[in-house]
Amino acid sequence: MLRFRRLVHTAIKKDILVVGGGPAGLSLVTALKNSALTRHLDVAVVDGQPIVERLGNWAANNKTTEFENRVISVTPGSVSFLEKIGAWENVVHERTLAYDEMMIWDGESGARIEFDAFDSATGTVATMIENSNVQQALLNTGNTRDTVIQAQVEKIHTVNGLPTVKLNNGIEIEARLLVGADGQNSPVRQFAGITTEGWDYSRHGVVATMHLEFDDFKQTAYQRMLKTGPLAFLPLPNATATLVWSTYPERAQWLKQLEPQAFTAMVNAGVRLDMADLDYLHSLDPKNTDEIIYEVTWRLNTLDEDDTLPTRVESIVPKSVASFPLKLRQADEYISERVALVGDAAHATHPLTGQGLNMGQRDVAALVAALELAVSRGLDIGSLDALEPYPRRAYLQNQLLLGVNDSLYKLYSTDCEPIVRLRTLGVQVLNKLGFVKNKLVEMAD
Amino acid sequence: MQRYPGHVPLNTFQRLFLFASSGIAAYISPRRADLVATFGEMTSQPFFARRLKKQMLSDPVGRELLREKPRITSKTLNLDYLRSLPSNTLGNEYVQWLDKENVSPDTRLPVRFIDDPDEAYVIQRYRECHDFYHAIAGLPVVMEGEVAVKMFEFANLGIPMTGLAAISEPFKLPKSMQKRLFDIYLPWAVYNGFKAKCLLNVYWEKELERDANELRKELGISLPPDMRAMRATRAMRPKRVVRNVIRPDSDPIYEKSN
Ligand SMILES: Cc1cc2nc3c(=O)[nH]c(=O)nc-3n(C[C@H](O)[C@H](O)[C@H](O)COP(=O)(O)OP(=O)(O)OC[C@H]3O[C@@H](n4cnc5c(N)ncnc54)[C@H](O)[C@@H]3O)c2cc1C
Repeated sequence: MLRFRRLVHTAIKKDILVVGGGPAGLSLVTALKNSALTRHLDVAVVDGQPIVERLGNWAANNKTTEFENRVISVTPGSVSFLEKIGAWENVVHERTLAYDEMMIWDGESGARIEFDAFDSATGTVATMIENSNVQQALLNTGNTRDTVIQAQVEKIHTVNGLPTVKLNNGIEIEARLLVGADGQNSPVRQFAGITTEGWDYSRHGVVATMHLEFDDFKQTAYQRMLKTGPLAFLPLPNATATLVWSTYPERAQWLKQLEPQAFTAMVNAGVRLDMADLDYLHSLDPKNTDEIIYEVTWRLNTLDEDDTLPTRVESIVPKSVASFPLKLRQADEYISERVALVGDAAHATHPLTGQGLNMGQRDVAALVAALELAVSRGLDIGSLDALEPYPRRAYLQNQLLLGVNDSLYKLYSTDCEPIVRLRTLGVQVLNKLGFVKNKLVEMAD
Repeated sequence: MQRYPGHVPLNTFQRLFLFASSGIAAYISPRRADLVATFGEMTSQPFFARRLKKQMLSDPVGRELLREKPRITSKTLNLDYLRSLPSNTLGNEYVQWLDKENVSPDTRLPVRFIDDPDEAYVIQRYRECHDFYHAIAGLPVVMEGEVAVKMFEFANLGIPMTGLAAISEPFKLPKSMQKRLFDIYLPWAVYNGFKAKCLLNVYWEKELERDANELRKELGISLPPDMRAMRATRAMRPKRVVRNVIRPDSDPIYEKSN
């Protein structure tokens, strides 16, 4: 810090400045430092959050604490990328869970489709891991931690043709390449004048950490497609699971007001009961815990036990309930002169297929490849020539995934009878066609 | 696997067979209540019974009914007590109607072919409440009144069987009755059926002491012109009236003595 303070009025020069120390920003820095071609570049990452302080010793401090609510599903592709850049070995593995099956079922008709990865090379569909676990692993790889500057970006402007970032501690940094890994509201994207396309789903994702009645012997990720949005029930170790329930904003608000026992009952209802029951339950007073539990218990008792569904929830971690708005966004460009966008800054998707983080990992891999090529050819790393291969590799693939996610989402957000019947038929046929399903799993990776 | 007393589980083939045969048979002989009831069950699955169940689950009274699953019989309803109630009450109107039409609440066939116990109850309940629909609409059990009630039920509940009956039966009636149906009773039935609250979500047993007109108002039903009076003044007696037949069943689409 002292070193910077002396330089208050002259900008620090960096080859690459990354704004945002989320999973995308940190893996970019780690990957650059891991590559023989780009290792020599002077790289820094700024983040407004105290990430080093919070996550530097996370592994030692979090042996037995509750799982946090921001859990993501990383595909084997992302895992092998993290392995390649040396970060995967720093992950706290006891806090991750690799699942080998995925079951998606229709909330109206009950029709289901199952994917498994028993024949694939890794034998896993994806691995559930806390956001913080990914971040801490990256921070503790190589000298990533030393590149982090904790400060809020206040202003970005161009000085002598270079993007220059003014931080809230007075420091200014100019960079040959400014990377926006700064999340959905990306200040870097705004600076570059890059517009985005997309829309809000007018849905919120409600997340929570849940304790189950018993440990499931299967490792399966479940999704129930309700007309209000998908309810995802994702496995964690030790009879724990994480919830991502996307629903109307008012319902998300309502769920957040519940007492923990009522929330637990509602999750069990969301997994098993009819939409008409859920509609009715949402019409009750959220503070009337007894009535909610009474109604849910009665309806659950009318059902036959179905052990192909997720294990029932016993309790939730009270402070783990949170919600966030769901959007579909794609930046019109991933690059402009001396600027590149990665991760949520470049695109945001519905968490339907858990691609939020993985798309960011693919961006990073593509950007690093472009920079390696630029360095080996002696190009200026901030020039459009150098950056151009990055969007060529990543943009279309992301667009495709965003499109698939969006159509899936729309297909399931109705309870209109003919559509329910058609999609049910489609799913029943698809479920029988192993080779098509395998292709789909590969595509998502 | 039997899921409730009286349940007859069927495989897909049996289901299809029963669907086709009961449909044809019920059309040929609409007086065979068992056939009509079976065809009713076959056509209400899987979608319509499920939709009605959803409607009941969406309503506090509907849920109470599904929870308690009350049955309507002459044992569960104390008919003598109903006769003692003031004449403006629902209970008294209902029993007056039973007495006048010479029917009893005990003639409902049990549901057999619907697998889901809740859905089976929904259809059972619908059958057992049929006389209340007659009473609340003030329509007689003669064919003409039956057609109007069926249409009213169809508009209100959307059970396919009732709709089929309501559109196929009028053509078996004499012209003058057809005219009365098409001019007065069917429009009344469609309008009131749509406008009224879902009648499956009425706990009739708990409304017996209520003023019937007040209840009609609450449910959004207005009384049609008195069919009996009209029939009398017009002195229109159809030749095909079947006299002195003991009504054996649930949803007869046939004329009854009076
Ligand atoms: C509650 C929640 C639950 C989620 N659940 C899932 C899930 O189940 N599955 C899934 O795949 N995805 C999920 N996601 C999405 C996933 O977390 C994101 O896709 C992923 O974190 C994106 O990483 P990122 O590095 O691009 O951006 P972020 O993680 O958003 O990181 C951006 C960073 O930039 C920093 N920053 C922003 N502006 C400034 C500034 N002006 N100055 C300094 N620093 C700044 C922020 O502090 C932040 O650390 C969830 C997201 C949320 C919010």
